[in-house]
Amino acid sequence: MERAENIVVSAWPKARARDDRRVSAAVFATILIVSACLSAALASWLPLQVSIVSVFLFAGPHNWFEARYFLMRLPARFGRSRNFFIVAFAGIGLLTLAYISLPALYYANIWSGANWPNAIAGWNTLMILWISALVLMRGRQKANRDWFWVLPIAFALCAFNWLAPELFSLAIVYLHPLVALWFLDRHLRRTKPEWSKTYRGCLALLPLLLVGMAWQLSRTSSLADDNGLFWRITQHAGADLLPNVSSHLLVSTHVFLELLHYGVWIVALPLIGATGAIWSVKSIPIANHSRGFPKLIGVILICGLFAVAVLWFGFSANYTLTRDVYFAVAMAHVLAEAPFLVRMI
Amino acid sequence: MKRTLILSAAICALLASGIYAFGDIAKPKPSVEPKPIFYTGLIVKTDPKEYDARLIISEETLKNIQDAAARRGNASLGQKIMHSSTRTIMAGTFMFLAVSFAGIWFARSGQRRSHKAIAAVFLVAIVFGLATVIVRANAGPPGYIRWQNLPQALKDGQETAGGVQIEIVPGDDRMQLIIPLRKK
Repeated sequence: MERAENIVVSAWPKARARDDRRVSAAVFATILIVSACLSAALASWLPLQVSIVSVFLFAGPHNWFEARYFLMRLPARFGRSRNFFIVAFAGIGLLTLAYISLPALYYANIWSGANWPNAIAGWNTLMILWISALVLMRGRQKANRDWFWVLPIAFALCAFNWLAPELFSLAIVYLHPLVALWFLDRHLRRTKPEWSKTYRGCLALLPLLLVGMAWQLSRTSSLADDNGLFWRITQHAGADLLPNVSSHLLVSTHVFLELLHYGVWIVALPLIGATGAIWSVKSIPIANHSRGFPKLIGVILICGLFAVAVLWFGFSANYTLTRDVYFAVAMAHVLAEAPFLVRMI
Repeated sequence: MKRTLILSAAICALLASGIYAFGDIAKPKPSVEPKPIFYTGLIVKTDPKEYDARLIISEETLKNIQDAAARRGNASLGQKIMHSSTRTIMAGTFMFLAVSFAGIWFARSGQRRSHKAIAAVFLVAIVFGLATVIVRANAGPPGYIRWQNLPQALKDGQETAGGVQIEIVPGDDRMQLIIPLRKK
């Protein structure tokens, strides 16, 4: 365990040395604020168009950067964390499989879709309990920490989920992009603590931007979802579940959060050295270790780049179908964020 | 840990027996009465120069009525919950577990900070509770109060404003306006 922690941390001094000659905290804050305001303006002005373009351009690459980041955070030897990672990977695999199975069974005419809310509620419950188990396991690894309070919160979330499963799933859609901001916060706190305060100050702007968007767009007429693609985008943002809220506001808010999410994974974290030099596998402990797997990691990363290219080709050939498939399969990366975030707490 | 597991198993067994017991309760009879689909305001006034009664509806109100009528088949969230016994049972079970484990956590934690956190939670709950009571207290008088002066206002040629619930009923009967006048 000690070895694993040391190996992961060992990549950071390099990043720190490289970052010293880069931007100051004020420039960093300016970049963050301008990016956030620009994203909010674009998402409010052309929500559907920006949604289509951003998913086309950034969905695949951000998954690749995320995968690379997680590989870098993976210890070379699991040691005392072995059970934690077994539960983590088993959960990611089984929950993703179950999530993809539901629409697959429906489209294959094996399941009529009856009791769809119950099925979704069941899946959400398993996800909550899985994350709770990870938090409790992580809590045991830390001295003088009692994280038992996770259980009442988890059960309360399960209760809310069973009352309104679709709304709970919609909440995940909106909250998932914010997880990237949490990752950035944890990373800055470790690698550039002098930026951490500035970053948290900038985060205070986020609710202001969201309130501003709500104020501007709440009275706008709903977006025209007269074709299959536009309909899917508005449904994904919750237009069907929240009929009294303008779909313009919903889509704009979701697109804005997604842009922030992509920005963190593709720009912010690589720039502060969180993913190391992207072409090199030496910053990845599981590849750099004497008993590691450098070739396997190299192959995984190259296959990832190939998958990004396939995704771009799919979007070019049939955007609507590829988008549907992507958002089903992409649940894996949403789930993968949980254990790695828990490890950073 | 072992004791917690045994305790959890015993609680689950108790709950399972409760679910079986409730399985024998008959389903509620479905209601056939028309239900309001939309609530808006109405002004009743007289005009001696007019030849025919007129019903004036703003475009926005008409659109809202159309939207509400279109959604009539979709039950509200509360109705959906009430008519899904499985989900109600599951939600209740998890709420019970949440409260139980919160109690266990409270009993386990002897730290002052935890007590402060719990006190904060209780304070927030009390504030919400009081806010709920205040909001309900300020909900205003019942709707029929606003219509009590309608006969006198009609005699005097003055207007009367009040709330009205829009209901859509089957058939092709004339429109009806039912005013809730109470005998004094």
